[in-house]
Amino acid sequence: MGSSAKKKKEKKKDFQKAKLRVGKGKLKAANATDTSFKAKSIALKQQSLTANAPTVEALCAHHLALLNHKSDTQRRDSLAYLTTAITSNPPGIPLPQPSSVILPAVQRLILDGSSKVREQLLKLFQSLPKGDIASHTDQLLLHTRAGMTHLAGEIRVFALDVLEWLLGAAADEVVSCSGGWVKMLRCFLGLLGWQTEVSGKWSTPQSFVLPGKAGGDAKVQVKQMHALALFLRAGLVPSQSLAPVDGSGCTFPLWQTQHHLVSQRSNAYAHLNLFGAPRDEEAEMYEDREDRQRVFHDRAEPAIVVGLEQATKGGGEMGRAAAQLKKILKEGMMDYRGEDFAII
Amino acid sequence: MGKRKVGALEKVDADLANLQYKVRRDPASYRDDFQNQYNQYETFRELFLQNPGTTDSGGIVSLRDLIDFISHVASCYPDLTAKFPDDLIQIISLHHEVLESELRDKIVGSLVLLRNKDVIDSSKLLNTLFPILVSTPSKSLRALLFTKILSDLRSSNVKGTNHKLNRTIQTVLYNLLTSDRASPKGIWAVKITRELWKRQIWTDSKAVEIMKEASLADNEKVITGGVRFFLGGDKEREEMADDTDDDENVDIGKLRHQAEINKKTKKKGRELKRAADKVRKQEKKKNAPHPLNFSALHLLHDPQGFAESLFTKHCQNSKSKLALESKILVLQLVSRLVGLHKLTVISLYSYFLKYLTPRQASVTSFLACLAQATHNLVPPDVLEPLIQKIANEFVSEAAASEVAAAGLNAIREICVRQPLAMNDTLLQDLVMYRKSKDKGTMMAAKGLLSLYREVGAELLKKRDRGKDAAMGLRIGEMKERRFGEEQAGEIEGIELLEKLKEEERRKRREELGLPPDLGTDEEEEEDEIDNWKNWDVESDSSDDEDGWINVESDGEDINISDSDDDSKPVAKKPRLSSAPADGADGEKENSTTPSKSAEPEAKKISKLLTHHILTPADLKKLQELKVQSSVTSQLSSFKKRQALAAKHADEGVTSADIEAPAKLGKKMTREEKIAGAKGDKDEHHKSTTAIRKEKKASEGKSTTNKEKARKKNFLMTLGKAKGKQKRSLVDVRRTLKGHIERSKRGGKRGNAGM
Repeated sequence: MGSSAKKKKEKKKDFQKAKLRVGKGKLKAANATDTSFKAKSIALKQQSLTANAPTVEALCAHHLALLNHKSDTQRRDSLAYLTTAITSNPPGIPLPQPSSVILPAVQRLILDGSSKVREQLLKLFQSLPKGDIASHTDQLLLHTRAGMTHLAGEIRVFALDVLEWLLGAAADEVVSCSGGWVKMLRCFLGLLGWQTEVSGKWSTPQSFVLPGKAGGDAKVQVKQMHALALFLRAGLVPSQSLAPVDGSGCTFPLWQTQHHLVSQRSNAYAHLNLFGAPRDEEAEMYEDREDRQRVFHDRAEPAIVVGLEQATKGGGEMGRAAAQLKKILKEGMMDYRGEDFAII
Repeated sequence: MGKRKVGALEKVDADLANLQYKVRRDPASYRDDFQNQYNQYETFRELFLQNPGTTDSGGIVSLRDLIDFISHVASCYPDLTAKFPDDLIQIISLHHEVLESELRDKIVGSLVLLRNKDVIDSSKLLNTLFPILVSTPSKSLRALLFTKILSDLRSSNVKGTNHKLNRTIQTVLYNLLTSDRASPKGIWAVKITRELWKRQIWTDSKAVEIMKEASLADNEKVITGGVRFFLGGDKEREEMADDTDDDENVDIGKLRHQAEINKKTKKKGRELKRAADKVRKQEKKKNAPHPLNFSALHLLHDPQGFAESLFTKHCQNSKSKLALESKILVLQLVSRLVGLHKLTVISLYSYFLKYLTPRQASVTSFLACLAQATHNLVPPDVLEPLIQKIANEFVSEAAASEVAAAGLNAIREICVRQPLAMNDTLLQDLVMYRKSKDKGTMMAAKGLLSLYREVGAELLKKRDRGKDAAMGLRIGEMKERRFGEEQAGEIEGIELLEKLKEEERRKRREELGLPPDLGTDEEEEEDEIDNWKNWDVESDSSDDEDGWINVESDGEDINISDSDDDSKPVAKKPRLSSAPADGADGEKENSTTPSKSAEPEAKKISKLLTHHILTPADLKKLQELKVQSSVTSQLSSFKKRQALAAKHADEGVTSADIEAPAKLGKKMTREEKIAGAKGDKDEHHKSTTAIRKEKKASEGKSTTNKEKARKKNFLMTLGKAKGKQKRSLVDVRRTLKGHIERSKRGGKRGNAGM
C-alpha cells in the first residue's frame, strides 16, 4: 500500500492546473486537434457566380420539393409561397409552374396531419385555374376518398371541403371518372352511417359511425349531407349547359354532330380501359346520366331514403339539410322512375 | 335524431391499435368501423398502385399500418376480407423490386400472419414467397423470405409430416434445379433442402434427389452446395440432434425445494409447472425409439449412374471450369460413393494418375480420394500402376521425409482395401524403409509390413514374415484371398450362445430325470415357446406394471414352428447322439468350443441360426457372453484394421489420415509439448475437501451454521465479536472440550502415529 513519493507525484500530475501567464497565449487543451493544413491553391467547387436572384420558376420548383419536408410550418410556408406566386401571376401569362406539375405534388397533402397545412392547401387549390383541374380529377378524387375514409375526424371533414371545391371546378369529370360514382356513394354512406348491408336478422346496434369530434356531430353531419347533395346534383340532375349546345349545333344536313366527333375531354377513350387493370362494377366509369341513375337506384337509393327519413325526423338544421337533399334526389330521379315504369 | 351514446372509439383519433384491440374482442359491434378502415385501405391501395415506388410515410396513417391492422383482424371478417390476401400477393409479387423496404417486409410478415391464422394455406404462401426469394435482388428481403419459408415449413411439419406440402415444395425445388442448370438460383433449393434435412423434417429420398440434381448442375456454387451436402449433411444432422437433446437440464428437485421456501406467486407456480412439463417431455424423448434415418448416401436411387455422371461431367470433362477445391470435393463424393457402394468406375483410377505427384496442390486429398475409391472388387491391375507411380514419385531417399511417409501411408490405405494390388518386388522395396531414420517414414513402412504379414505374407521375404505368419503359411491356415472372394458372414460369439443353450437344456432334462442329451421334439418346441414368451427382456417387467396378468390356457399352445409333427427337422437332431450320457464328455464334444475353433478346418459354422430366430433377449445374452469371454480382445490387429476400414466406408478417408504418420517425425515446439502434456487435465489443483464442498453446493444441499458463519462478511461480525470473558457457558465448554480433544489426538492435525 505504501506508495512512494514518486508515485504520488505522478498521480497528482493529472489534476494539476496549468497556470495562465500574461503575454502568453492561452494553453491548448490536451485533446485539441490540429486542423491546420497547407495547400498550394484553394478551389471552391460549388461557388455560385450568378449575380441575380433565382427566378420565380426555380423558386416554385424548390418549394414544390419542400412539400415533403418534415416540419409542418415549412410545408405550410411552401404552400403559401406557391399560392401567392399563382395569384400574383398576371392573367394571360402561363403559371410559373404548370398545374400538371403542381397538382400531383400537392394532392398528397390532403391527408396531411396538420390542420394549418390543410387549410393552406385548400387556398392553393382555389387559386388554381379551374380549366386545369379536369384532367387530374381521378387522382384528386382518389386522395379525397382516402381523406373521407380517414380515421382522423378532422381530415374527414377537410376532405369534404376539397370535394366541394372539386365539384365546383369539374363536376362532370368527378361523377364520370373511374370509380367516381359508385365508390363515392359508398364512401358517403359509410360516412353518414347509412350502411345498406344488414347482416342477419339481428338488430345491429347504432353503429359508432365516424363522426368528427364528439359534440360537433350534428354540424358535421349537416356538412356531409350538404356535400352529398352537391355530389348528387352533379351526378343526377341534368346539367343546363348541355342543352344549348344541343340546339345550336345544327349544321343542316348533319344532326347531332357532336355525338359523332371525338369527345373534347382529355383522354377520350379512358372508358375503354385499354391499358389498366380490369375494372369491376365499382371501379367502372359511368359517363351517362342514365347509367348513373340506374346504379344509384340499385345500390344506394334505399339506404339514402331510409337515412333521410331519420334525419328529417331529427329536425333542426339537420332536418333542413335532409329536406334539401330529398328535393335534389326527387329532381334527379324523377325521369328515371318514369322510364322504369315505362319499361315494365 | 335523439341523443346518441358516445362510442368509445370517438374519443380516439386515428388509433388503429386501439381499434384492433376492440375489434378482436367484439368483432360484430365494430363491423362498420372495420368496413370503413377497409375502404380506407382500398383507396390507399389504389393510390399506391398508381405509383408503387413512392413512399406514403408523410401522412399520419400509412398503407403499412392499414395492412398490419387488417391482417391482424382479417380472421374476424372473412367475408369482407376475402380479396385481401390476393391483393397482398399481387402487390408483393408484381412490385417487390420497387417497394419501399419497410412496406415490403410488412407485406411479407402479414402474409405469414394470415397463414398462421389459417386464412390462407401453406402452399399458397410458399408458392408466393419462393419465386420472390429466387428473383429478388435485395439481400435483406432474401434473408427474410428464407427464414419465413423455413419456419413455415417447420411449423406445418410439427404435428405430423405434411406429405402433401412437402411433396409440392420438393417438386418446386426440383423443377427450379432442372429447368435451368446454369443459373445460380438453384442455390436456394440447396439451402432450403439442407436446412430441412438438418432438422430432420425432410428425410426421404426425394430430398436426396434434389441434392443429386444440384450436384449435377452447371453452376459451381450449386454444385459445391450439393456435393457438400452429401459429404457433410448427415454429420450435421447428427450434431443438430445431439444439440437439441441436452439443452438445459432442469433440476426439478431444486425448483420444487425453492418453491417451498420462496414466496409463492402465480408466476412461480407456472414456472414450476412448465419445468415439470419439460422434464416429462425430456423423459419421453429419452425413452422414445431412436428415429431411423438413413444417410443421404444410402437413399440414392442409382449410385452407379450418379457417380459416373458426376465423374464424367465435372472431373473428366475438359470443358468443366471448376476450381481445384470444388473439383476435389466432387472427387471426394465420387470416391466415397464408389467405396461405399462398391461401384465400378474404371476410368476413375487412371484419372488419378495425372495428379499423383508431390508437387500437386493438396495432393494428400487426392491420395485420400484414391484410397477411398478402392474396394475389394476393383481389379488389381488397374491399381497396380497407381501404386507404382506413388512409390516412384513419393517414396525415395531423395524425397522429403513427409512426402515419403505420406506416400507409404497412402499405399497402405489402398492395400488395406485391395491387398492384391501389390507385387512382391515393390513390397519388399517399400518394406526396406522401416530402417529409415525418419520416424514418420519408419512407422508408415512398418504399418505396411504388418499389414502384409496378415494378408499376403508370401509376398514378403522369409525373414520379414514374422513367426505367426510363417507358421500360418506352413500349416496352410493362411491362404491368399482370390480376387472377388468374400468371407462367409457370421455372428460373432454365436457359438457361445449355442453352448449356453445346450447346457440349459441339459440341466432342465436332468431335473426332469431324463437322459440329458437325447431331446425329443416336444421339448424342443416347448423351448421355443418359452423363448417366444420372453421375447423381450424388458417386456416381463412392463407386463407387471400394467397390472395385467397373463392367464395361460392349458393345451392351447400356439404352434409357431411350421414343421409337421411327424417329420423330424434335420437341424434339431441332437448332436452326436451315440455318445454316452456323461456331462464331461458332452462338454468336450461340443463342436464349437474355442479350443477347437483354433483349427480352421474344424471350425464349424454354427447351425443355431438355421433353426432358431434370435429374440432380443437372446441378443442381449449374446452381448453379455461376448463381454465375458472378451471376444473383442482376441481380435487380431488385422481384424481391427478391417474394422477400421469398415468405419471408413461410413466416414471416408480424409487427407488428415494420410498426413498423420508424417507428423510423427516432426519435432514439436515447446508450446505444443506443454499443451500436449497438459492435455485436458484440470489446471488448478484442488483439495479433496474443496471438491467435496463444490459437489455439495452444486447439488443444492445446505451448509452448516458453522460454514455460514465462516462465510459471513467480516465487517458484519465485528459488532458481535466477543471477548474471552463474555462467552456463554456453552461456548466455554466447547473450547475446553476442543482443547482436550486436540491434546488427545496430538495436535490440530491429529497425528495418528502418536
